[in-house]
Amino acid sequence: MSQEIEDLVKKITPCKELLRKWILEDEEAREIRRRYANWEFIKNQPPKVRLALTYLIESGDLYKAAKIADLTIDELNELRIKAKIPNIT
Amino acid sequence: MLVDEELLRRWALEDEEAREIRRRYANWEFIKNQPPRIRAALEYFIERGDRYVASKIAGVSLEEFDELRRKASIPVVI
Amino acid sequence: MIGVIDACFIIDWSRYRHRDLIKGLFDILYIHEEILAQLRSEISISFTSRLLAEGKLRLYPWTQSDEDEFLLLRSEIIANPRIPSLERPDLLCLIIARRANAILLSENIGIHRVIEFHPRYRNVKVWTALETLEHLVYRGLITLSSEEEFMRFVREYEQDTNHIFRKRRIETCLKRLRTWLRR
Repeated sequence: MSQEIEDLVKKITPCKELLRKWILEDEEAREIRRRYANWEFIKNQPPKVRLALTYLIESGDLYKAAKIADLTIDELNELRIKAKIPNIT
Repeated sequence: MLVDEELLRRWALEDEEAREIRRRYANWEFIKNQPPRIRAALEYFIERGDRYVASKIAGVSLEEFDELRRKASIPVVI
Repeated sequence: MIGVIDACFIIDWSRYRHRDLIKGLFDILYIHEEILAQLRSEISISFTSRLLAEGKLRLYPWTQSDEDEFLLLRSEIIANPRIPSLERPDLLCLIIARRANAILLSENIGIHRVIEFHPRYRNVKVWTALETLEHLVYRGLITLSSEEEFMRFVREYEQDTNHIFRKRRIETCLKRLRTWLRR
């Protein structure tokens, strides 16, 4: 890592407590998404979409999931709703 | 920077006049048969007359949108 | 009040049965054209283009200076493996909200987290749909007299959009609402 980047990272780093809080929140959200998801629907999707929806369940990241499926987030969101995967905030 | 009230009133009247003309000339049958994004963009253009924003709604270039506008018989009113 | 909408907010909000209420909450709403490009479904395109047509929503005039800020913010975030990664469209909206001194409407958890620690963005207000509903009450656009009535609106939103608000977020929101109802 260059010195410039290192300095940037040092200046803007969340504290350990915040990071711990985020890990717990992410785990909670992941559990909820797993529980609500319609796995039958997901299993019957083409490979890219199936992978994207599975990724979405694990990460909650709609943008990256959309990129996996080669869709816009609006298009993936329609699939998310059909797959009963809740958006959690 | 404040704009004169009189000027604003004149612009509002001109905009309404232009909107009426676009609505009257538009080929609504053609518009209705377009895919959602194009339809929304043409309807937006009829209301506002803004080709740039309309092309963004449609997800096409300005020139491509202008082609659609012509096919939909929507005039540019200046 | 000025608002900035990001893609994940608008694609859900446009499905909400009382979506038009947002028009009364903000004097103007900004959207970046890259966010607009993300919209594909009939429902979100139709709602967004209607807001544009009514002059309530405007394309934000992105400048080179904004782009420079994006490059800086991105390098601050991606360099640190402990910060959740964010995509370009997420960051654009955050930058616009700060520049325009606007409320950012976003369902993106990454964005909510950036403002928890980033010194330049700490003062940016970010609302999910829950806080938006809350402010609709304060503005008198939703009339209610109890927390239960508010929760009915929340459940409707959750149902229409397949969304779940965390218990903690709801509790914090209800605490504020309780104070407001008692005034």
